Amino acid sequence: MIDVVFLLIIFFMTTAQFAKLTRAEVELPREQGEQNRVPEEEGIVINITLGGNIVVSTEYVTLDRLELLVQEEIQRARGRNAEKVRVLIRADRNCDAAVLNRVVTRLQHMGVGAARIATEIP
Amino acid sequence: MRIRTKSSRTNVENFTLNLASMIDVTFLLLIFFMVTTVLIRPEDRLTPLLKTRSDETAAQQDFQPQRIEVLIMEGLPTYRLSDQQFTISTDLQAALMPLPKEPGIFINVEDQVPIGFAVGALQAAHDAGFTKVTYVPVS
Repeated sequence: MIDVVFLLIIFFMTTAQFAKLTRAEVELPREQGEQNRVPEEEGIVINITLGGNIVVSTEYVTLDRLELLVQEEIQRARGRNAEKVRVLIRADRNCDAAVLNRVVTRLQHMGVGAARIATEIP
Repeated sequence: MRIRTKSSRTNVENFTLNLASMIDVTFLLLIFFMVTTVLIRPEDRLTPLLKTRSDETAAQQDFQPQRIEVLIMEGLPTYRLSDQQFTISTDLQAALMPLPKEPGIFINVEDQVPIGFAVGALQAAHDAGFTKVTYVPVS
């Protein structure tokens, strides 16, 4: 019995999918979104917290550091084309747009043509 | 719990299985998975194009897209579409419906506006049928 239980524990531990900790705890804008159910590559996820902090993969980053991370993503992107870089912005709905505006301005200067803004389906 | 099996033979064999430890482990596993489970709320996205204020000015030379200004007026976050003002995104959407969709739409968002309110303008433009929605930060 003990053998079986340990076997089960090992099975669950090895098969468990540890979700990437790319998503910070933020209250997203409550909107329906595009309702396009086609799954897309996530790319770089930029979280903007209520306090106006920028978080990428659990790391608090400055705008300059964010620029470096996006540059790395551009390098990884197909054909090194900034237009094709996938950026997902997860911003807290109660935060002022000032930080979002600064992030968008930086992205635009780097040649990123579009960004996805995450919404929470009400 | 006690399970007894009787063999067909004449000699009776007692087989006892103590399940107490297994129940402990099962509950422990249950608690472990309950604690480690992350509940994810359903998410979607809006995909605006990105332009800065200077790009927007340059673009105006070629065509005149519609423009929504998202700003604070008299202490309230407001959508302004030419001379009309709205505080609810559904009203904005209704006003956007009859407009021509081809030139696209620019959404100018001021710094002080809550992000949730600004995203409401993106959603209204999308729902009104605009395919070319551009986010323009106004700092």
